Amino acid sequence: MSVEAPAHPILDPLLAPPFPQAALPMLRNPQLRKNVGHAIDVIQAKRAKVVAEKTDWQDLRSAASAIRAQALGNLGAYLEQFESKCTAAGGKVHWAADAAEARQIILDLLREERASEVIKIKTMTSAEIQLNPFLEAGGVKVFETDLAEIILQLGDDEPSHIVVPALHVNRSQVREIFARRMGLANLSDDPQALTAAARNYLRRKFLDVPTAIGGANFLIAETGSVVVVESEGNGRMCLTLPRIMITLAGIEKVLPRFQDLEVMLQVLARSATGERMNPYTSLWTGVTPGDGPQRFHVVLLDNGRSSILARKTERQTLKCIRCAACMNACPVYRQTGGHAYGSVYPGPIGAILTPQLMQMHHAQSLPYASSLCGACYEVCPVKINIPEVLLELRSQVVNQERRQIGRFFDPMYLGMKVANFLFQKAWRFHLAQRLGRIGMRLFTKKDGWIHWLPSIGGKWTQTRDLRGLSKQTFHEWWAARGKDAK
Amino acid sequence: MSATVSRSAASQTRQRILDRIRSATRSSKSDVQEALPPTYIRRGKLTVERRLALMVERLREYDAEVIESTPEDLVASIAAQLAGSGRRAFVAPEGLAADWLIPGFDWKVDHGLTTAEIEQAEGVITGAYCGVADSGTIVLHHSPIEGRRVLTLLPDWHLCILRASHVVETLPEYFDRCAQPPGLVTWISGPSATADIEMTRIKGVHGPRFLHVILVRDEL
Repeated sequence: MSVEAPAHPILDPLLAPPFPQAALPMLRNPQLRKNVGHAIDVIQAKRAKVVAEKTDWQDLRSAASAIRAQALGNLGAYLEQFESKCTAAGGKVHWAADAAEARQIILDLLREERASEVIKIKTMTSAEIQLNPFLEAGGVKVFETDLAEIILQLGDDEPSHIVVPALHVNRSQVREIFARRMGLANLSDDPQALTAAARNYLRRKFLDVPTAIGGANFLIAETGSVVVVESEGNGRMCLTLPRIMITLAGIEKVLPRFQDLEVMLQVLARSATGERMNPYTSLWTGVTPGDGPQRFHVVLLDNGRSSILARKTERQTLKCIRCAACMNACPVYRQTGGHAYGSVYPGPIGAILTPQLMQMHHAQSLPYASSLCGACYEVCPVKINIPEVLLELRSQVVNQERRQIGRFFDPMYLGMKVANFLFQKAWRFHLAQRLGRIGMRLFTKKDGWIHWLPSIGGKWTQTRDLRGLSKQTFHEWWAARGKDAK
Repeated sequence: MSATVSRSAASQTRQRILDRIRSATRSSKSDVQEALPPTYIRRGKLTVERRLALMVERLREYDAEVIESTPEDLVASIAAQLAGSGRRAFVAPEGLAADWLIPGFDWKVDHGLTTAEIEQAEGVITGAYCGVADSGTIVLHHSPIEGRRVLTLLPDWHLCILRASHVVETLPEYFDRCAQPPGLVTWISGPSATADIEMTRIKGVHGPRFLHVILVRDEL
């Protein structure tokens, strides 16, 4: 059975279709839903087990949340401290206000080094600023080194998850991509063989390419250190073998102290991959003579983050440590996979982060891509109240729409206006109830349910039935009962 | 000239970003709490025996090979591990005890080996800064007995000598041992692995595929 590969998904919020529209092809792709469902079941079960072992899990969450809140509340001071410590240790810190500036800084650094090739550690921030196509256009060939990123790069695909970016691809699809792009006709679809193929494909690149780009899980203000959390060892390769290392990090990634890692490293791997600890975590500070890259750059990226910081309810979005527990727990993500979110940040965190990074000018359908069930909040290791932020963003979207000319004639808007008027006085409400009961009778079938409504009501009935209004309200029943008793 | 212009543009960008951050956080100073006294578990409660047993169990869950040795038998234990590996060419960090470099194997000691020389080695033997039992983590600070980072990265087989007196139960206990924050750290929890294909854990993507640990019972 050959599965129709989905058309190249669009993960640019400026171009992506609204969520309900983007989700349709995913919902109609049974293979994709099966792949996503399987991967999520495995991670969820592992996470539940290693979290249950921690009798102090809620204390760790509270501590992790407090540390992140403290970092954000003093962000300016901590960033300056990071900069001065990193610089003193031989690193160079650059500041980028937006994606275009960050891309240009990185390309200029590569040109200074006359780099024609670069190896990369997985970094969602580089996907956010669409770095790879920019570098390729600038004449620099980019080699992703994380297994999932190789699958996506060679398969001309896009990430659908922030920790396991290729979780929507199964082993036979990986086999097909590797066989075609690595010229290995006899490759089997055993994950062991596929992993070995990736190891061989990259080994020489690690040894030969002198320039690497990576992200940061944490920046430590106290020491100027950078921390990268990974599994495969491709990160260690990129952090150790090249002569030049460029780290791209969002300004929110900073932690005040080295010791804060005692909390963050306990919650991150457990939340992300359901492991007690990920196989490799690397910390380095500027340049170490004789060990690793001798030229080191950090690019600190704002790209909309400072305006999120300014908003009271939304600031917590920036506490995120990118563990992806929220998307693994989300009943909506489970059905649609990540591509429907039209951004490199999918799932509940993407639903609040992407519209804000876009300054609320794009991706306004995302705050509605949630049932508000709260599962994301419950699993979040830094206690981001995602439903609260979703509601805040929804109200902003509604306020935006209200201001639009022509909005007055929108049935939803009119309906809300009418409801607002009716609900102000009890007699209006009772009258409306009585009229509504008469009107609805037209659509209510014998089983007591409404299966179809015209116009805007159809938005409800196209996905679920509506209970017909009962013959008597509770008020009416209560009043009638009182009379009978007398 | 143009470099000067771009440098001043860069410093303007920096100032602009910092100004935006400062104005965003100015009104919220009262929200910022000083670090709360931690309520999570910082100190372990296990006996020494159970703490070490936990370390061994966790390492084995990661498919690491673990053997225990008395301090007196350590050299013999190392010799047995090397012989059992079926490998001949090894590298070692420069601070390693001389008697750990068992005669009869090809040794290259890292007084500045090239990457190519390290890549050709079949295995590496190092010490460790400390072990964390709760997560089965081995911590390297890359001192002269733990070696440069590349040394424990390229060879496919890593024999790590871990002293029982350096094994702590909880991660916070490791941080308590660091009087000064270290500049270089690698936390290793089992051999290199990936679960990127259908969440099946596969050992050995890029780092060493085989991790062997000798736990030296020097705690008494």
